Amino acid sequence: MVELGVPTRSAPALAVRSLTYSYPGPAAPALRDVSLELAPGELVLLAGRSTCGKSTLLRAACGLVPHFHGGEIDGRIEVAGIDALASGPGELASAVGYLAQDPETQVVSTTVAAEIELPLEMRGDAPGARARAVEEVALALAIPHLLGRAVDTLSGGELQRVALAAALVTRPKLVLLDEPTSQLDPVAGDELIWLLRRLNEEWGVTILLAEHRLERCLAAADRVVAMESGRIAFDGAPREFLAWAQESDVALETPAARLFSLCGIEPLPVGVRDARRTLRGAGVAHPPHRAGRRVSDSGPADPVLQARALWVALDAGEGPRDVLRDFDLIVRRGERVALMGRNGAGKSTLLRTAAGLLDPVRGSAEVPSGMALLTQNPSDYLVRERVGDELPGEAGTAALRAVGLEPALEADPRDLSGGERQRLALAITLAGRIDGGELPGLVALDEPTRGMDRARKDDLVGLIDDLAARGAGLLLATHDVEFAAAFAERVVLLGEGVVIADGPAAEVLSGGWYFATEVARVLDLPGVVTPDQGAAALRLEDD
Amino acid sequence: MRSPFAYAPRPWPLQSASPGAAVVYLGAFAAVAFAYSTPVVLAAAGVGLAVAGRLAGARAAVRAALWMGLTLALLIVLVNALVVSRGETVLLRLGDVPLLSDVVTAEALAAGAVIGLRAAVVMVAFAVYSACVDPDRVLRALRPLARRSALTATLVSRLVPVAAADAARLRDAARLRGPGAAPVGRAPLARRLLAGSLDRSVDVAATLELRGYSLEPSRSRAGATFFRPIRTKKRCTRRGEAESVRAGSRSRYDRRFCATGAAVLVAAIAGKVLGADAFSEYPSVAVGLEPSTLGLSTLGLSALLVLAGFAPRHG
Repeated sequence: MVELGVPTRSAPALAVRSLTYSYPGPAAPALRDVSLELAPGELVLLAGRSTCGKSTLLRAACGLVPHFHGGEIDGRIEVAGIDALASGPGELASAVGYLAQDPETQVVSTTVAAEIELPLEMRGDAPGARARAVEEVALALAIPHLLGRAVDTLSGGELQRVALAAALVTRPKLVLLDEPTSQLDPVAGDELIWLLRRLNEEWGVTILLAEHRLERCLAAADRVVAMESGRIAFDGAPREFLAWAQESDVALETPAARLFSLCGIEPLPVGVRDARRTLRGAGVAHPPHRAGRRVSDSGPADPVLQARALWVALDAGEGPRDVLRDFDLIVRRGERVALMGRNGAGKSTLLRTAAGLLDPVRGSAEVPSGMALLTQNPSDYLVRERVGDELPGEAGTAALRAVGLEPALEADPRDLSGGERQRLALAITLAGRIDGGELPGLVALDEPTRGMDRARKDDLVGLIDDLAARGAGLLLATHDVEFAAAFAERVVLLGEGVVIADGPAAEVLSGGWYFATEVARVLDLPGVVTPDQGAAALRLEDD
Repeated sequence: MRSPFAYAPRPWPLQSASPGAAVVYLGAFAAVAFAYSTPVVLAAAGVGLAVAGRLAGARAAVRAALWMGLTLALLIVLVNALVVSRGETVLLRLGDVPLLSDVVTAEALAAGAVIGLRAAVVMVAFAVYSACVDPDRVLRALRPLARRSALTATLVSRLVPVAAADAARLRDAARLRGPGAAPVGRAPLARRLLAGSLDRSVDVAATLELRGYSLEPSRSRAGATFFRPIRTKKRCTRRGEAESVRAGSRSRYDRRFCATGAAVLVAAIAGKVLGADAFSEYPSVAVGLEPSTLGLSTLGLSALLVLAGFAPRHG
């Protein structure tokens, strides 16, 4: 019998038995009769739609639920043999590392070195051991150059790595990650997943990873657990998960699996390499190259954004740095443009400059027919307790109508779903800028899909299509290549403050490796980026 | 862009002092502001804090706090003058206006000015604290006192940096609202900022729990207290970046800061007893300039010497 509070070598890394949990208040249970066991050294992917209970399960596994959040709990959780309900998060700290969605709330120190060292110091490690552990984890995560930096000068991606380093520095047996790639560009996201795989293989760390972008990490997983309304709906191998998703929830299918489903090819692939191997086996390894899908000529339409010879410098406390350098871009009315690039490439800076939040050093960014910008956190726009109070009068009603939220006039913004809150925030930026039903020339959104599942992303694509059809130019800064492929007709790729690619989405997103969709990586066909396009291409090949 | 209230390591005595010593030193000025109504003493405390902040390299924080504090003071003067009808010197007759006084008196203006000045002095004290006292050291120093309450520790050490970051985002969002959306006044924005910052502080406190903050401090750390913390030497590089190197000794300035703060507090108490706070607003303004008042003001200003007398500390 395992004695409570004493870790044992043979114990599962995580054992959850019949766990039911409700947050304080009258809310429905967030977890319902969940049972799950993770063997030491497993890398398990936790899948499911938004609010299905993934984050709550992770919080229960690290002791925050119920010790920090309160609420009612029934069942049992053991982490490496330690009873998580009897021990608090502090006692579990040496056995569990936890990385939450928002890296900004995961730093408690002013410098990177102090942040990473903190858990060791709290544990009472000697200074020499702390210095070595900090150095090693910094090397493992390729961040030794950040050690001397102040945390408030770091980008979101850098913060995410620092928070991960602080979670790993005690060499925990179990690491829990809640959408760790949501703030990362495709390059950094892929690097992080493979880094986790390496830590898992070389250090034997058990990893439980919650993610919405399954195509990014399915190939690295040993096992997938899917949740639905607080319950475990599936628990099995990645390939079996894809078959289950095909039957039960297509929103959880990866693009490559969707492509195979549309073409009737079996077995469903868990990653790009797997897909290519299967296609080779099926005799469709080298389909002929086809011309990319061209967008309609947008030349005659009015420009809604004209950036000319634009230079913008930012100072994060280390002296001014040129973020946009001699930057030129024209977006026209009705265009749907995705602005992509690595963290720090200048995407947000361009949007903020166009909206007048930043002054250029040189050059100009003009928006002749007005602009509405929705920044990354929609909640920042919501300051009142009634939707109608945020958007009074005819102008407010028109804005609510434009985003399809007119029926929510009496609702409290806090009661709206995440997607509805985003629409409301967009309506707030549009209010008074809709002239006789005509939208402002440019509607810009900065990283709108952070933390969204695919169903919500599809809703957003619908809204974007609607706004574009009504004459607005849409400019979205995003790291999500699959989302960009779904909504954009044109992709502008930035690198170090300059445009490095600008063309039809189907061409840009199929012409590279990191900034390419999964289907593009599988098929390697110019102009083929979505499962539908891929299926059409493969059918043509059959014909 | 960094908030002016964000802590930045600098090689000055106030940054080198332990959090406890810095709190005693700055808190003495704030305590004087709370305890006294005499404008001379309040002004001396305000000037003392502002100069102390500038000497500690927190010029931007002092400037921002003075701007905010004096704006608030002006608002208080205005509101007090409009709602209080006491005082003999009538400057203006407003007539019958609901909720407002029928007259504006010089005494109500003076009383408002004193309250406003007090608020401004406290804001400057807090700004200098925020910009000069390392929150990492506060967090570690609080551990023996608030080990079981990561939230308390977070609120004490991180609320200002978290609120500063949130304020910048909320300001941007307010500027991006369409002209047809309800305008965001200072009050809703402040409410939203406070609520949001508290929410985010709870998240930060959760992280602190996960880092093991509530664990029993080990024997090697048992000596760390609010007044004798684990010292963090901040080595300032050319770009002003800080490199943390931890050592076990306290700052050589601690005693002097504590002694100076204690002297100001003792003098403030003695001054109260001796009638140094001779000020009355109503029915007519009377400012006493007794030797004790002037003496306390002089002591408050001379407390700066503890900062001004030392050379910057390098390494």
